[in-house]
Amino acid sequence: MNRVLRRTYDWLDERLQVSDLIEFMKKKSVPVHRHSVWYYFGGVSLFLFIIQVVTGILLLLYYKGSEELAFESIQFIISKVEFGWLIRSIHSWAANLFILSAFIHMFSVFFEKAYRKPRELTWVSGILLLFLGMGFGFSGYLLPWNELAFFATKVGTDIAGVIPIVGKPILIFLRGGEDVTGATLSRFFGFHVAVLPALFTVILGLHLLLVQRQGMSIPMSVEKLPPSERKTMPFFPNFFLRDLLLWLLVLNLLAVLAVFFPWELGAKADPFAPAPAGIKPEWYFMFMFQTLKYIPGQLWIFEGEVVGILLFACAGLAWTLVPFWDRTTARGQENRKLTYAGLFVVVYMIILTILGWLS
Amino acid sequence: MNGKKAIVTLMVLFVVSIVPAFGQRKDQCYECHATLGDKASELFKGDVHHQKGISCAGCHGGDPTAEDMEQAMAPATGFLGVPKGDAIIKVCARCHSDRETMEKFGSELPVTQASMLEGSVHGKASVTGGQRILHCATCHTSHGVVSVKNPKSPVHPRNVVGTCGQCHSNANLMRQYNPSLAVDQVEKYRTSRHGQLNARGDVNAAECASCHGSHEIRAASDVKSTVYATNLPLTCARCHSDAVKMRPYGIPTNQFQLFAESVHGKALLEKKDLGAPACNDCHGNHGAIPPGVESISKVCGTCHALNAELFSVSPHKKAFDAQKLPECETCHGNHKIVAATDELLGISAEATCSRCHSSGKNAVGFHVAQTMRGLIDSLENAERLAAMFVSEAEQKGMEVSEAKFKLRDARQARLQARTMVHSFHEGQFREVVEPGLKVASFVQREAERALEEYTFRRVGLGLATLIITLFAAALYLYIRRIEQSQSDRRK
Repeated sequence: MNRVLRRTYDWLDERLQVSDLIEFMKKKSVPVHRHSVWYYFGGVSLFLFIIQVVTGILLLLYYKGSEELAFESIQFIISKVEFGWLIRSIHSWAANLFILSAFIHMFSVFFEKAYRKPRELTWVSGILLLFLGMGFGFSGYLLPWNELAFFATKVGTDIAGVIPIVGKPILIFLRGGEDVTGATLSRFFGFHVAVLPALFTVILGLHLLLVQRQGMSIPMSVEKLPPSERKTMPFFPNFFLRDLLLWLLVLNLLAVLAVFFPWELGAKADPFAPAPAGIKPEWYFMFMFQTLKYIPGQLWIFEGEVVGILLFACAGLAWTLVPFWDRTTARGQENRKLTYAGLFVVVYMIILTILGWLS
Repeated sequence: MNGKKAIVTLMVLFVVSIVPAFGQRKDQCYECHATLGDKASELFKGDVHHQKGISCAGCHGGDPTAEDMEQAMAPATGFLGVPKGDAIIKVCARCHSDRETMEKFGSELPVTQASMLEGSVHGKASVTGGQRILHCATCHTSHGVVSVKNPKSPVHPRNVVGTCGQCHSNANLMRQYNPSLAVDQVEKYRTSRHGQLNARGDVNAAECASCHGSHEIRAASDVKSTVYATNLPLTCARCHSDAVKMRPYGIPTNQFQLFAESVHGKALLEKKDLGAPACNDCHGNHGAIPPGVESISKVCGTCHALNAELFSVSPHKKAFDAQKLPECETCHGNHKIVAATDELLGISAEATCSRCHSSGKNAVGFHVAQTMRGLIDSLENAERLAAMFVSEAEQKGMEVSEAKFKLRDARQARLQARTMVHSFHEGQFREVVEPGLKVASFVQREAERALEEYTFRRVGLGLATLIITLFAAALYLYIRRIEQSQSDRRK
């Protein structure tokens, strides 16, 4: 048996230079300090993304992306297909946990100022992955073609439509026409299973490559210590096994959520029915949705909603480009103001999300 | 002129000159017109207004004291000439809408006629558009107006049918206002019990105004109409629940009470369901008469068509006819028809079947009734049980929408079976019940399968969680072990 394994390994090594990879892995180490726990959320996000890919492919075997059959096909998956209910429920729960984990990962990087030189591109690619993840959520939400998804998509695309100049073309592009119809479902399906995965895979590859090339960032406080006082652990097997342990726990959590709180399907979308009360977007869009509700209809000579959307766009851009304008951190000094601003953003998002759910 | 004659003439002139102050004024108009012998003054002689001392000028204006015709009818005197259309209503309303004036003439008549006429269907604009469809004189005439209690009045109970019929039996006239409205009301009325009594001079028998009202008549489709479906039972009850009024006819007076408690009455009066029958739907309206024994199933069959059809070819048809039993009524009653339950069927003491069928008498029917009841009870139980399992599976979050939808077929079968009872044929009954039983059984199996799946998921989750947790624990211990050995090596 060992001989067979050995020969297989040798065969592969001759062609792929596996030994080099193992050597690299052996030498790779992860810093150990009191903030090390945040390193794991990148791995958890990756794990949840892998689950999304696997469960998504399984759902694709039965899902039909048309106005007439989408709802029925999901109904079929959860009632007739063996373990279909589990796959669909895990796909929905993992999507939400992925966004949550990605948010935690992003804020941990932000507060550790891990985006500082030389990791600016890692930060930008990570933010792009988060935006793409939210795009996955928005496009996937419509796919069951149920009442709630239909009207939430209508509201969501309406908001995009108010952007000056480009809003209307964006709305038409997203909807495939003036209204949310079967054409919208078709293209959302296309975005969800082809366009977004392709973009995501490329950017994820870049993100992971950068992490491997540059290694884990260490907090500025630890960076100041002499190398002899800095602790590390081998990536393989120590960190890898710890990552694996956390993934198992996340898998357990996913299973419990999927079984005890199966994702509801609701009623089939009826474009001619009045919008049901309490239409709300997914929780990760809630803080923006709620903010737009609080902004007055008219702000001086501008439309309130337009001002709100433009403010969010500017804030998102500033957030993405933070490594390039945070000169204090770049000089190796602690930027407390930015830390407080980040804390304000977190508290603001949490409060507005809660208010949105309570309203 | 001798002195004696001159004294009498002077006395007459004196009396005539002081009468106006007491309402018996000199009416030069009437005197002249009476001399001319025209029809208006001839009719006015018997007019109730003339008898009350109201002069021609009361309606036409002018100066009744002036002997000169031109002076009497001068515009300055307010002479109206012959009022037409709505002007007639205005003239009549001057007194008839004024309580004080009416009391001055000793009248206790209501003073709302004009306002009621305005709100009525007859108060709408006529085809010319310039006036209302009717005015007071259309029904009451003009110069020969007499009290409604006077048999000569066109609106006296004995005459009112003919008066209404002048327009309502005129197809050409009615077509201009409501082409879909029938014009055979009078004809039908004459065939009704009410019409027969009315023809004999019975003023208590219902005529047009008894049901439709007089000045306030509204279209039957108007929710305020006395003959609107939900108001009609109470309109009929005004007479038919009056024990004193009904005593001469020897008929019961509890029909309304019974109807109000019936399934039809509750639907119509409480739920305002206009699909439910009112009195006229079974008895007819203008041709109202109790349906005969032989025609009851036809009357009920206008709505319950399938039941009536099944009954007409059932063995009961012949038996009921032979014994002169009213068809539907024998089992379901008449005015107090309650919701038919399965209790009516079978051989228990409450069952209708057991009134005629027992193991010793009409035994075939006895066994059929017993079997049918057993089958429908089985179907009901199967449906209830299946619904219970479906509900439990739903509450546990399982997807059973297809089974739930299918369950409607079992309910449909039970409803069909209730209709099929009227065939009184076991074979036909089975044909409906057995598919229902199969559906209920299928739904129950599906729901049970969902419940099993629910348990499987819980057990599966427990096992999976246990395995993953054990694996995680083993991994944790392994990590500790390798880290311990790494630490030992470093030392």
